[in-house]
Amino acid sequence: MKQDLNRRQFLQASGALALSSSALGKLRLSAPKPPAGKTMVVLFLRGGADNLNMLVPYKDKDYHQARPTIAIQEDDGLVPLDDGFALHPGLAPLAPYYESKQFAPVLNVGSPHFTRSHFDAQDFMERAAPGLRNITSGWLNRYLAHTASADASEFRALAMQNLLPRSLRGDYPVLAVPSGLDRRRSGALDRFDEFYGEGEMAGEPSSAGQADSMEPQAETDEVVYSGQKTIQTLRRFQKIIAQGKNRVKDGTYPSSSFGRALSALGKVIHAGEGLEIAAVDYHGWDHHANQGGIQGRHTEMVTDYGQAVAAFCRDLGPRLNDVLILTMTEFGRTVRENGNTGTDHGRGGAMFLIGGGVRGGQIHGNWKGLKESILADGRDLPVLTDFRDVFSASLKQLFDFRAPKGFFPQYKPKKLRLW
Amino acid sequence: MGLVLCSLLLGLGPSFQDPAAESQKVQPLSERERAVHLLSRLAFGGRPGDLERVLEMGVEAWIDQQLQPQDLKDSWCDGLISELPSVSMNQVEINNEYGQRVPAGASLEERRKIQRRRNTPRYELMQSVLVRALTSERQLQEVMSEFWRNHFNVSFTKGAGISLMINTYEKDVIRGHVFGQFHSMLEASAKHPAMLFFLDNALSRRPATKTELKAIGRRTRRETGSEVRADQAVQLAKQRGLNENYARELLELHTLGVDNFYKQKDVVAVAEALTGWTIREAKRGDDPGFRFENAMHVPGNKRVLGKVIRTERDNGVIEGEQILTLLARHRGTAEFISEKLLRYLVADEPPKALLKATSKEFQKTKGDLQAVISFILKSDEFWQREHFQAKFKTPFEFVTSSLRVTGAEFENTGSILRVLIEMGQPVYMCDPPTGYYDTAEAWLDPGVLATRWEFALNLAAGKLEGIRIPDSFYEDVPVEPARLWQHHLSQKIIPAGVGKRTQDALTRTTNAYLRRNKTPDIRQLGPQLVGLLLGSPEFQRQ
Repeated sequence: MKQDLNRRQFLQASGALALSSSALGKLRLSAPKPPAGKTMVVLFLRGGADNLNMLVPYKDKDYHQARPTIAIQEDDGLVPLDDGFALHPGLAPLAPYYESKQFAPVLNVGSPHFTRSHFDAQDFMERAAPGLRNITSGWLNRYLAHTASADASEFRALAMQNLLPRSLRGDYPVLAVPSGLDRRRSGALDRFDEFYGEGEMAGEPSSAGQADSMEPQAETDEVVYSGQKTIQTLRRFQKIIAQGKNRVKDGTYPSSSFGRALSALGKVIHAGEGLEIAAVDYHGWDHHANQGGIQGRHTEMVTDYGQAVAAFCRDLGPRLNDVLILTMTEFGRTVRENGNTGTDHGRGGAMFLIGGGVRGGQIHGNWKGLKESILADGRDLPVLTDFRDVFSASLKQLFDFRAPKGFFPQYKPKKLRLW
Repeated sequence: MGLVLCSLLLGLGPSFQDPAAESQKVQPLSERERAVHLLSRLAFGGRPGDLERVLEMGVEAWIDQQLQPQDLKDSWCDGLISELPSVSMNQVEINNEYGQRVPAGASLEERRKIQRRRNTPRYELMQSVLVRALTSERQLQEVMSEFWRNHFNVSFTKGAGISLMINTYEKDVIRGHVFGQFHSMLEASAKHPAMLFFLDNALSRRPATKTELKAIGRRTRRETGSEVRADQAVQLAKQRGLNENYARELLELHTLGVDNFYKQKDVVAVAEALTGWTIREAKRGDDPGFRFENAMHVPGNKRVLGKVIRTERDNGVIEGEQILTLLARHRGTAEFISEKLLRYLVADEPPKALLKATSKEFQKTKGDLQAVISFILKSDEFWQREHFQAKFKTPFEFVTSSLRVTGAEFENTGSILRVLIEMGQPVYMCDPPTGYYDTAEAWLDPGVLATRWEFALNLAAGKLEGIRIPDSFYEDVPVEPARLWQHHLSQKIIPAGVGKRTQDALTRTTNAYLRRNKTPDIRQLGPQLVGLLLGSPEFQRQ
């Protein structure tokens, strides 16, 4: 059966569902609901984040030799996790979660595809289909579509940004939350209600008086459908943000847009709105030049990331066991610095898993050091764990979702001992 | 998607087809619809009166005129552009005028003043792009400039280093070749400081030789007296070398398309051939343009796409130039560029036959952009009904067309630039080298319409700073009867027509107003209706 229905077809199908209770029954049978109250928060560091300067192999002389000016040094304030690795000082607020065994870094993870293009690597990862250009739905959207039910929460999935990331694009309608929404007056939403379909259902009969205008119809126009969704969900979202509370002191979250996004997500989770999947992009990790060491752009961004994620963990409190924070990037960077105090596109990278019951307090993946003989093409970290294995394990452990055949196209995920 | 959903879909699919819509598809566009189509696709919407003018002169004549923009008078736009002097300057003038550095020990106030001055060209450039899209008579030139700006994307987000470079990039690379040869635009972009800087080619160089490394060690030891520092300097010099960033995007984004005909070894060979293509370090008054630095260049012949690229002694720049020619003439480039052009001008999924024919035309004319565009516009497919009012507008297209169809007057464009930031498409600030996409898939998500509605209502209500819809816009609407105002305004803003749902919603607004106001005033009801029309589903498409 076709894997990629287009969005319109899905709308027709799901609209039709509302009319047919027998179909609904079947759907429920075929798609067991995921356990309530679990949430996966996917953070994408765009540009290829340099994990070697985040989780630092600080005692490895190859590391220091490869990075004479940008290596992070012990006396820069590294936080040792064990004899091999230390956290960048900007990630220090996350160290307690490593100690409490809730923080699990995975190293040498990435895509089997050779591409060093950001756009391809991101697309392939977000669609969980390396090299397969005919797959256009995102892996998170496929999960949502596979487990769709007619009474699902409108807040099953959110992207905390103006536009959806690729991972959330596809058949299942997902809300992109425009920035500044909490400050925005709701007037615009009220004014356009009727233009995007709500009015005809509730209001006076239409002037032209066509017989079918009172019957609910599946909306097949993408623009109109998108508008309907916008109105319904943003209204409720505004309410949640206005009335919701974080469970940390004001000022715990950094005031960056990344910090604000996580703070809003915290409120949505506390509100118990059935949020299952949330995504936040963090742009700008492509540090070809002026990446810097402990002083520099990379350090500033790592620090912001560390503060925001730690604030989010603290805000969640005991709920952190039901929330998996999954951080990824499209690839790692060259082991050697490039002479513009930067690094170039590499291969293997890292993923960080926090919460959700992950087996933390140890470094996963298959670390083999930085000897030239180990490196891919003599320059990059090798890919020893396929990123799809992490995706598969995360869906299974958090949502009890066993990806059916074809969910990861042309791939059968291997089991990882991440939980 | 589960089996159940699929079978459901197959069962119910056909009943959703609208037979009336089916039969309409085959009807050719009327002359008026052709004029509407042209103003929404080949212009950023029609200003008041434009539709009548196009109908009077004829669609073909309008297109022919637009393809020769130099012959069109453009005095309104020219006047506004003349108030943005940095847009017309060459690089030496810009650097002299705006490039002053903050002297040591400058006061805070001085510092700010200098910084403001450095930012001036950037703001003027952004404004000029908007001013031209909004007011120029040469609309097709502006529509195509927007295409090439995204194709050969450079961005202010790269950092302060690029902030004085993009004005001449817009002038000399984009506008200079918009109806010229693709090859010339490609070469102009490759040699422009903005591109050399944006994709790091200016830094790319051959690795240092052993002798050079020893010399660096000796010098550092002598200067610092430190063995450690000398070692570090040598390590660092060892690592200065090839930067593949530009070479990769040149193949992937600018010419062949991703993984089309080329492999990683071609990327490396192209990067090597382009080592030494860098920026002249300019002292005051010098031309800070392209420079070929032989000392940075990887010597020797290269092999690219199976062809040997021969070098010349003391003229290594010739390798890069040969490669650009090879790429510009390549079949893969003709196909890739044609597909992108068709996606922009015709449909998100371009018709296959037209793609084939357009690529052929591209190759036959050696990438003559005027000929290729003309070919597309004269194709039957461009005028097919299925493409009429079918393409979702990008934020830039939505905002500019809103301002054009309402004949909006503006004192400054600052508030528009801010709106574009909110909508995710600010001018010359697309960080990924891809440029902004132009498909619905990239822009149409639940949630994004809220920003458009807010803008639509604010524009109509006169709440955007420095922007207003003039009274004259409402003056030619017949005063009686007031219940037809919505019809007249709808014709002005969406001449392609609106659907029943939108009509009904406008009627309700009109009725509600007329119930409350015994002496209706179009300056009250009109703006309400205009705001709603701009935010309606129909106006989101072109």
